[in-house]
Amino acid sequence: MDDAPGTRGAASAGPAGPVDPAVTDVAAAAAARARPPEETYRSAGEWIRKNLFSSRFNSLLTIAFGLLILFAARGLLNFVFSEERGWDAVRTNLRLIFTHAYPEEQYVRIWVCVGTLVVLTGLSLGLFARRGEGVQLKKISTVMAGVGAAIALGVILREPSVLTGADGAVVRENDDVVRQSFFEAMADRWVWWLAAAVLIVAGVVLRRAVASSKVSISSVPAVEFAVALLAVPVLSAWIYPWGHFAFVDGTFIAEPGRTVAMSTKVPWTVMWLLVVAAMALGRLMRRGFDEQQQQRMRIPLNLLWLGSPFALYWVILRDPHLEWDRVVSVDIPMGVLFGVIGAGVLWMLTRPGIGELGRIIAIVLLGVAAFNWVAAFFGWYSMLQKARLSFLLLALVALAAHNFAGEIVKRRRLVMAWLVLMAIVHYFATLMNAPSTVETPTEALIGGFAVTVIVAVFTIMLSFPLGVLLALARTSRLPIFRVMATSYIEVIRGVPLITILIFFAIILNLFLPVGMEISLIASATLGYTLFSAAYLAENVRGGLQSVRRGQFEASDAVGLSTTQRTVFVVLPQALRVSIPPLVGQMIATFKETSLLAIIGVFDVLRMANSVIPAQTQFLGIKREGLLFVSLVYWVFAYTLSKQSQRLERRLGVGER
Amino acid sequence: MEGLISMKRRIAPISRRSALRLAGVLVALTMVAAACGSDDGDDTEVDGDEPAATTEAAAPVTEVELVQAEGDLLDAIIDRGELKCGVSGSAVAFSETQPDGSQTGFDADYCRAVAAAIFGDADAVEFVPLTAAERFTAVQTGAVDVLMRNTTWTQGRDTEVGMDFGPTTYYDGQQLMARASDGFSGSSQVADIAGAVVCTNAGTTTEQNIADAAAAAGIEMRLDTFEDFDIVTTNFIQGACDVITTDGSALVGRKANQQPDGEEWVIFPPTPISKEPLGPTYGQNQSRFADVVNWTVYATIIADEKGIDSGNIDARLGDGSLDAEAIRMLGGEGELQTAMGLSSDAFYNVIAQVGNYDEIYSRHLNPVGLSREGSANAGWLDGGLIYAPPAR
Repeated sequence: MDDAPGTRGAASAGPAGPVDPAVTDVAAAAAARARPPEETYRSAGEWIRKNLFSSRFNSLLTIAFGLLILFAARGLLNFVFSEERGWDAVRTNLRLIFTHAYPEEQYVRIWVCVGTLVVLTGLSLGLFARRGEGVQLKKISTVMAGVGAAIALGVILREPSVLTGADGAVVRENDDVVRQSFFEAMADRWVWWLAAAVLIVAGVVLRRAVASSKVSISSVPAVEFAVALLAVPVLSAWIYPWGHFAFVDGTFIAEPGRTVAMSTKVPWTVMWLLVVAAMALGRLMRRGFDEQQQQRMRIPLNLLWLGSPFALYWVILRDPHLEWDRVVSVDIPMGVLFGVIGAGVLWMLTRPGIGELGRIIAIVLLGVAAFNWVAAFFGWYSMLQKARLSFLLLALVALAAHNFAGEIVKRRRLVMAWLVLMAIVHYFATLMNAPSTVETPTEALIGGFAVTVIVAVFTIMLSFPLGVLLALARTSRLPIFRVMATSYIEVIRGVPLITILIFFAIILNLFLPVGMEISLIASATLGYTLFSAAYLAENVRGGLQSVRRGQFEASDAVGLSTTQRTVFVVLPQALRVSIPPLVGQMIATFKETSLLAIIGVFDVLRMANSVIPAQTQFLGIKREGLLFVSLVYWVFAYTLSKQSQRLERRLGVGER
Repeated sequence: MEGLISMKRRIAPISRRSALRLAGVLVALTMVAAACGSDDGDDTEVDGDEPAATTEAAAPVTEVELVQAEGDLLDAIIDRGELKCGVSGSAVAFSETQPDGSQTGFDADYCRAVAAAIFGDADAVEFVPLTAAERFTAVQTGAVDVLMRNTTWTQGRDTEVGMDFGPTTYYDGQQLMARASDGFSGSSQVADIAGAVVCTNAGTTTEQNIADAAAAAGIEMRLDTFEDFDIVTTNFIQGACDVITTDGSALVGRKANQQPDGEEWVIFPPTPISKEPLGPTYGQNQSRFADVVNWTVYATIIADEKGIDSGNIDARLGDGSLDAEAIRMLGGEGELQTAMGLSSDAFYNVIAQVGNYDEIYSRHLNPVGLSREGSANAGWLDGGLIYAPPAR
């Protein structure tokens, strides 16, 4: 439109009567700065004319592609809502699709996991979501009207329903099904018409109200709005008869007229209440804390985020059965031993005068640790893997010890960090090796979508540090690191993922030391991690190269060590730039987990593709399951992508 | 280079005593760790399922574990307390995964029968769903004890692959299915499909079998292959295929569940074009375990011959209507069972908890339209091939 942004703000700011033009200008500029340039109200007709039919050619394009979209939408609608569709196969098998054979009486464990994540999300949002992030009311009104229009269009596009006789069988004439007449069908769908009308009217009313400034706010907080929207499906589970489908003691239950099972709606309602409560708590904490305290809150919260996958999987989902005799006689002493002796070694290595000797000892340690693994392959002497791992960790920490040499505070911090590391490593190693107490009828503990999420989360968490290390190594000045990292990255990038997966699934176990076994899911996670790390490394390297030379020089000038320069100056800038490709890689990893189906893991795709179609009850019903699984994948991938956009905005990627 | 120089500058005089002390500590640590490792030789508990086993998967134990190679499999299974049974997990009527994750089907029930024989508890089974490609490796590595995964008994698998096969529980054979409206009937022959579009799933022996049969009949046809049989069936329903072919049991299931209203599908020829004897499969040279599996199958067949089923077994034992063979088998004078390493009432448990052959068959295969009558799977007294040696 013609009026420049901010004019209206200026007009309302200026008092009636003659005003000094300079004052008006300043006010206008201030108003323009204060909020983003606001588009003024336009009627839908105007918008359409301006954006869709601005020239003859554009009109042609609009019509052509509009028809294409309508055609596709019609096909999809008729597919989804066709009477022939066996959606019961999906509805009855939801448990199988999401968790495979995880026993129903243990389902509370799954809800504890979901609940933990929900609470963490709520806390993070409550504490750290920016006040400024809001959804424009205008946008809401547009979306409402748009959804209403789409529903109306869908009702028209969907072909008339088939007629069924008194016995419920489809009426046929000459082998063709008989359908309602068009007007009968339209009249039958009055509920949908009503919904469409309500949405359109509400949208238009809201839009007008916003335009005429009757509503004092122009936007609502985005996070609160999203959470409030989530209440709609949760509430509908209590009210709307979505249908009750279950499989109990060998019999299929299908009651389309009922609301969903209690075991579905109660947990989801609890989850919704949890997220609201956690957000409120986060808000309260934010109000109570000053800026610095808020920043300090980030550390424990992030640690919780990082630790929760491990704790949830090994403690909650698996519920390991510990043999206390063994724990007391072997596991605890070994952990204490490594903690204490390792601490002693590190304390010695960081002595002020130790100098080069420290590095030599660290390298010797690394040699010993490596030798332990070599010995394992040939079975020269036996040792718990836990001990091997601890040796390796000690060697690695010892290599970095010289950074902490000197002041007593630094040395103490290193030793404390070592003790905490050993406690965590030994705790989880013990848990991992204990058998699960959750009894499932099949070999695997959990499958379906849960295994997709588990593999994706662990892959992302493990491949990120590995990728950063590889990128640093590739840009290192030491040729040995550079050559090793480059050849690793190039070899992995030159091999298809499925090849790596098959290699890890089938061949890896043959290369392992005697007595060590790796499960299919573990080896697949390893394969995904190594693959993903190579790509992540390239993304991070791109970021590293974007850091200006001046930054390096300045760091050297203020006397930072190489480690300090990398950790505090270079990496933060490099990672900020690489966020879009990094998140892209994460989403790719998440979707690539569908390859698990090929190597024999019962993941969500395998459920839809081969397990459900093989049930006598739902024989050959495959497309419905596949469509549903695609939807599940899409919802998660889209959420990830949206979150990354938020992160980019927040860190100002592309602006500075 | 810079780094190296600066490093050199920082070198401090080496204190020999502290270095020695450090070395001593490290040696001690290694020895203690190694000692800790060696005293838990029997701890080989590795849960096969979590990404965990990577870090600590028990001490390397040289003697135990490779059950397949040495040691007695039956003893190992009894120690473990659970039978690991390889199934398909997605084979209609043979091993289906139900919505709650449980396994049902003909094959799954035979897993339960073997568990009932060994442990007296039909639920002491851990099902391991396997793809066709990984099934034999799973047996060889000891990931499963026995395969009940509709595996055809062939010479190559019996010899080269290193499998042993138990008694055939289901005689299958490849057949064809077409629409009656295209002029086919149950008595059609392979020669009748000349010029038709025949579809099957790729990379299986079915492809080879139909090509061979067509060549033998001297006819030309177009063979289209698809990734899996669901897609083949969809194409058949949509008319892209005139004839589809796979094992008869699968065709019957498809016909029962997917034949559209107003259409009639027929399965032919009456004599299948291939022999597919399906039965339990296990690793070579595990004679004691093989005996248990084989005699579990035979027990279900004998019980069927004598009309003993899970419903009447207690009544029949009580009223004295059983002959000596049945009483022996069901535990009366159970020396034969105890000599096998089982309890004397092992087969009583099988029949009481799982059922006889006919029960297992009708429970799972009748609903998909497969009937024993007149097929090779009828008892030998009714002219079929299901036969068991005597229990004496």
